[in-house]
Amino acid sequence: MGREGSVVEVSGLTHDYGEVVALKDLDLTVPAGVTGLVGANGAGKTTLLRVLLGLIHPTEGRVAVLGHDPETEPLEVRSKIGYMPEVESLPVDQTAADFVAYTAQLAGIPPREAKRRSSETLFLVGLAEERFRYIGDFSTGMRQRVKLAQAIVHDPDLVLLDEPASGLDPEGRQQMLELIRRLRGFGIDVIVSSHVLTDIEQTCDWVVMLDGGTLLRSGPLDGFDSTGTVRVEVLENADMVAGLLRDRGLGVVAEGPRLVVGPGEALETAIIEATAVARSGLVRMTRGTASLEDLFLGEER
Amino acid sequence: MTEQVIYDRGYRTYDGPRRGPSGARRAVYRDGLRRVLGLGRKGRYKVFPWSLIVVALVAAVVFVGLHWAVGNLAESIGQGLPAYGELFDFYSAISLLFIAFAGPALLIPDRTKGVLSIYFSRPLTVDSYLTAKVGAFATVIGGIYLVPQILLHLGLGLIAEEGFFAYLADNVDVLWRVPLTAAGFVTLHGALVFILGSLISRPGMAAAAFLGLITAAGGVASRVAEAEFAGARFISLLALDQHPRIIRDRMFNDTVTYPAEAAGFDVWASVAVIVVAALAAVVFVRARYRRLA
Repeated sequence: MGREGSVVEVSGLTHDYGEVVALKDLDLTVPAGVTGLVGANGAGKTTLLRVLLGLIHPTEGRVAVLGHDPETEPLEVRSKIGYMPEVESLPVDQTAADFVAYTAQLAGIPPREAKRRSSETLFLVGLAEERFRYIGDFSTGMRQRVKLAQAIVHDPDLVLLDEPASGLDPEGRQQMLELIRRLRGFGIDVIVSSHVLTDIEQTCDWVVMLDGGTLLRSGPLDGFDSTGTVRVEVLENADMVAGLLRDRGLGVVAEGPRLVVGPGEALETAIIEATAVARSGLVRMTRGTASLEDLFLGEER
Repeated sequence: MTEQVIYDRGYRTYDGPRRGPSGARRAVYRDGLRRVLGLGRKGRYKVFPWSLIVVALVAAVVFVGLHWAVGNLAESIGQGLPAYGELFDFYSAISLLFIAFAGPALLIPDRTKGVLSIYFSRPLTVDSYLTAKVGAFATVIGGIYLVPQILLHLGLGLIAEEGFFAYLADNVDVLWRVPLTAAGFVTLHGALVFILGSLISRPGMAAAAFLGLITAAGGVASRVAEAEFAGARFISLLALDQHPRIIRDRMFNDTVTYPAEAAGFDVWASVAVIVVAALAAVVFVRARYRRLA
C-alpha cells in the first residue's frame, strides 16, 4: 500500500524568524512510509511542518512535497495533505461530526459525501457513538482523535502529525500510536513529529533527527538501533571473562555478571571462548541495541 | 440467525470529485451562516439571533397591519404611517444588535480556538476565507434589512386599493432604493465590526466596543464639530452612524438634519466615508489574518 519513492525533498532549507534561525541549511529526503521527526522543543520540527504546508516560506533553499513546491503551489500541496496541529485547534461549540465534515468540505469534498466520510472516519478513530456530541464536552484523548480524524477525512496522500500523542494517558497514547501505524495501510504516508522518542520507535520506519534547526541524522529506524555490541550475562568469574576479552583488544563494560562487549568482529565466538577458559557459563547473550534516546543524546553530544 | 458485530469498518479511499478552493470558500460561507444563526450549535446559541429575526418579521407584519387597519384614517388627517424609509430606523436598531453579535461570532472563535491552523492547512487562502465570511455576514444582515422590507412591500401591495400589481408597478423604485440603503448600513457597520472582531479576543467585548463606538462617536463628533477651530466641521464626519441614515434620507424622505449635513456636507461625503471605512477594513483585516495564517 502507499506510494514508492520520496514524499518530501528539501535542499538547503533555511528559515528564520528575524534573528532567530529556526532551520539551518537543511538537506533532507523523506521516503514514503511512516517517518518520525524527532527533536527537543525548539528543534525546528513545527517550523519544518509549516514550511511543508506552505504556511511559511523558506528564507533560502527549495522544498518539494509530493512533487509540488509549497511556496509556489500551496493549494496543490494542501489539497493532498492532512495536518494535525499540536496546539488546541477545535471549535468547542460544534459536534465532532459537523466539524470533521466541515474540514472535509474545506478540502473540496461535496457536502453530502463529506458528512458520510466524517462518520466513517470518526468511527475509525473510535468515536462512533460520541460523534454527535459537542467537542467542548470531550476529554483530551477524544479531542486528539477528532484532530486525527479531520487530518485524514479527505483521504490525503500525506499527513503531518504534530505531537499527536501529546497530553494523552498511557492507554490513550498506545491507541493513538496504533492508529498512526495503521495509516500506512490505508495508503497514507505519515510524517509524525514528536519529542517522545519511544513513540517514534513504536510507529516509524524512518527517522529524521533535528537539533537547533540542523539535521542530526536521517535514516531507516532499523539501521539506527544496531550498536555493534553484544550484551552477555555469565554465571560466574565475570571479571576473568572481561579480562580475557580485553586481552583480545575488545572493549568491555562490566556490571556484576552482565557485560557489554564490543563493538568488534566475531564477538560471539570470542565471548564463548573466554567464558570457557574462565570456567564460567553463559546465561544469555544478545546483540546490543540502543534506544532512539541513546542515539539522539549521542548525536547531540 | 447469529448476531453479527462489526468491529472495524476500515478506511475508504475517496475517488469522487474535489471542488478545490471554490469548494473550500463555499464551505466557509455555509459554516458562517450556520454559526451566525446558531445552527448545529447548542440551544443557547440560537436564542439571540432567532429572537431578533422573529422580532424583525413580526414587526413587518405589524406595519402592514397598521396600514391595513388605520391607513385611510392616518391619510385623512394628513399623518402618513411609517413605511420603507422609516422602517430602516426600526430595523437599524435590530440590525445593530445582530451585527454586534454576528461579526465577532464569525471571526473570533476561529481565531481564539486555534482552528485557523487547520483551516489554512486546506486549499483555502486568507482572501477566500475572509471573502466567505463577509459573504455570510452580508447575507444574514442584508436579510435582516431586506426580508421585512419585502414583506412590507408585498403586504402593502395586497392591501392597496389600486390592486396588487398596480401597486408594485407604481412603487418599482423601491426595488433599488431599499437595497442601496441597506447596502450603506451593512457596509459601514460590517467594516467597523470586522475591524474590531479581528482585534478583540472576546465576542462580548467586541460587541460592546462596536455598540460603544457607534453610540459614542455620534455624540462626541457632533459636539466637537460645533467648536470654533479650523477644520472642526470635518470632525462631524466621525459621527459614523449618521452616514447610512443620510443615504436613507436621500433615498426616501428627509427626516432629520444630521451633524455632517449641518456642517455643510452632502450625501456624497457620507458615501465616501462608508467607502473609506470599507477599504480600511479590507486592508487592516487582511493584513492581520495574513500574519495569523
